[in-house]
Amino acid sequence: MVSTNADAVAIEANDLQKTYGTETALDTVSFSIETGTVYGFLGPNGAGKTTTMRLLTGLTQPTSGTVRICGTAVDDRRAIASLVGYLPETPPVYEAFSAREQLEYVAELRDIPAGSATERIEQYLDRFDLADDADKRISTYSKGMKQKTAFIQSVLHDPDVLLLDEPTSGLDPRAARRIRESITELADAGTAVFLSTHILPVVEAVADAVGVLFDGRLVTEGTPEGVTSLAETGEDGTLEDAFLAVTSKEAATDR
Amino acid sequence: MTGRRDVHHAIRIARAEVIRELRGATGDRRRVIGLLMVGLFYGSGLLFALPAVYALGQATGTVQSIPYLGGIATVAPVSMVVLSIFRTSQQIGTIDSEELVLLTVHPRAVVLGVIGAEVVQSMLWFGVPIGLIATAFALGIGAPTLPVTAGLVLLPLFCWATVWGYAGGIGMLRLFRWLPGLKQLLKIGWALALLPIIVGSQYIGTAIADRTFSIAGLLETLAFEPLQSYVELAFVGTELFHSPSIGAIGVLGGLVALTPVGLAVATRQATTFWFTDDPAPEQPQRTERSVGGFEAPQPFGSTSAGAIAWGHLVRAVRQPQEFAHLMIMLVMLGPAVAPIVQVDGNVGPIVAAIGVVVGTYLAGAAFGLNPLGDDRPAFPLLLLTEAGPRTLVWSRVIAGLAIGAPIAFLIPLGSIVAGTPALFAVGFAVVGCGMCLTAAMFAVGIGAVYPIYEEQEYWGTETVVPSTGIMMVYFWVVAGGTVIGLILTWVVLTGAGSLSLLIAAGVGVYLLLTALVPYGSYRYAIRRYRTYTLE
Repeated sequence: MVSTNADAVAIEANDLQKTYGTETALDTVSFSIETGTVYGFLGPNGAGKTTTMRLLTGLTQPTSGTVRICGTAVDDRRAIASLVGYLPETPPVYEAFSAREQLEYVAELRDIPAGSATERIEQYLDRFDLADDADKRISTYSKGMKQKTAFIQSVLHDPDVLLLDEPTSGLDPRAARRIRESITELADAGTAVFLSTHILPVVEAVADAVGVLFDGRLVTEGTPEGVTSLAETGEDGTLEDAFLAVTSKEAATDR
Repeated sequence: MTGRRDVHHAIRIARAEVIRELRGATGDRRRVIGLLMVGLFYGSGLLFALPAVYALGQATGTVQSIPYLGGIATVAPVSMVVLSIFRTSQQIGTIDSEELVLLTVHPRAVVLGVIGAEVVQSMLWFGVPIGLIATAFALGIGAPTLPVTAGLVLLPLFCWATVWGYAGGIGMLRLFRWLPGLKQLLKIGWALALLPIIVGSQYIGTAIADRTFSIAGLLETLAFEPLQSYVELAFVGTELFHSPSIGAIGVLGGLVALTPVGLAVATRQATTFWFTDDPAPEQPQRTERSVGGFEAPQPFGSTSAGAIAWGHLVRAVRQPQEFAHLMIMLVMLGPAVAPIVQVDGNVGPIVAAIGVVVGTYLAGAAFGLNPLGDDRPAFPLLLLTEAGPRTLVWSRVIAGLAIGAPIAFLIPLGSIVAGTPALFAVGFAVVGCGMCLTAAMFAVGIGAVYPIYEEQEYWGTETVVPSTGIMMVYFWVVAGGTVIGLILTWVVLTGAGSLSLLIAAGVGVYLLLTALVPYGSYRYAIRRYRTYTLE
């Protein structure tokens, strides 16, 4: 999805390539995502989704190509810190802390003023049903509780760009819905959300645009409806049908 | 502005790291007991040492007369740098939750925070004993300011060593990333070097005892005068100190100047290391395949326990890192191997005895010291099969015997070529096999007493390791019992000594314990497994 409004571009990736020795993990991937957009990033296991996300955060260097977040080069670490929130697949939380300690620690590192941080943390804890367990050590938490804590810490500083890797994995339906609602609210407030997941109904529910990565290449991109119709899966086709069609071996051979 | 902000963030990171470390170290009762034991051990030693240090202070007339000062002043900073390189390459070079920390603050703040935490933790662990020794010495020479001045002198030295050690450690990690074979080579080299080092340490101990080798002489040779002069600055304000030398001032200036340089180098190294990948993909280059399905060969295939034991052995070959805990045997074995080299005459019986001890140790230690912890990932499968707890426990005994018994049997027989009389070799081999059975049965029981489920870094590999306490108890009981058994075998075969009532009773008790304790331990393991099954 190529943006037409340069000022509104939140994420811009140009000809991203990543190789490991002779193996190409990502092959000239380009996309441009506007502010306030929820971008569903799909692809089978091993397609290069996590590599792409690490490139977008600057945690990994591309072999060639560039990434800019809100016009800032991603290797400008001091500037990029306040612009990006990232929730990787494994929640980056400290088991020796309680959720409250973890979030207060992140707020301190993000230079969020103490009063405002406390208020925001309490709101989020309450919203994600963690208030009663907020003082328990994270080591005693379920996978879903850790995931919710990590989601809160990734949005605590109101980032301009939020990158989520399987955010609803391991969550019960209520918590998964909370996350979906939060994603929509953040996008409405102007945050660009880059959402990588295998749960296609989540993408259908919240995404404004979809990109499908297969064998390190962006094989299709557009609105969910557009992608579904492009894949020629028939009138009753779903995003799942389209996904299966564009990531099939036959499709790869045609390319 | 950015510098102040980084320091502000670094303080918070350091505080968080220290809190995490303290909570980790005191997280459960076992760790608290371990800490108390260490405290009691070293604390009691320190209490006995303090009066001697006080007396040394009283007897000291000049700084030069303090024993080993020059050597210690030279060796200590080098040791600190080496320790810091080791700590960095093993533990603090990679940071937990890196996706969070590296996307929240600047890498310089992370480096400062991690190094700050390391300095604080070192002070917490070593500051108290060093402070007490300094205080006792200060009281001895009548200079109460000494602990403060010693702290002021040590702090720049410690910061310099930690910062440069961190830079060196990250440099090593980068080197290992580009040359992964070098890391493996160093690991193997270190493991192989351990035995000669331990044997060598026995020699050095003997040489020190018979005065053919002098530590004082070695330290004097190593002493670097400017560093000694710098450490002497700790005595400023006392009668022992006269005026600072140019060398001391030069070292102080060097430490103050080189620490920020080291910090800049460390930050650059760490940034490159954290924000780049391995040049090769993480997947193994060679896809390992297994063909022909899983069929245990005879004699393993004839029973369920045997087939499961074969599974343990196959996994042992394919994932040898799970047996990192057996490395402790090398440490324990060193003092036993030393006599072989030192004995002038017939070494055969010693080789035979060591073979029996090693075989017996391995029979239990290889698969028995953490049975519940090792089996836990497969419990949902194992406990829903037809195999009962008895079969599961017995399979570990069989797998242990498959490794230990051949060693305990063949090394004594092989030692015949080294001079062991055939009768003794056969006697040791037969007794060794019996010992292997008792050791394997004993291991599964005490291993089930305190199961460990969490993986941890051990000898450079991430694995589930049995409890250290359990490993120690097992080693001393099994090694002690085996040695007693071998001595009895030797006495019986030589026909030496008369069998008094007391000796006969002692032998009877020994044999009874050797049979009953392992059996009871084995039964206990089965009972522990039963607690996980649905009746």
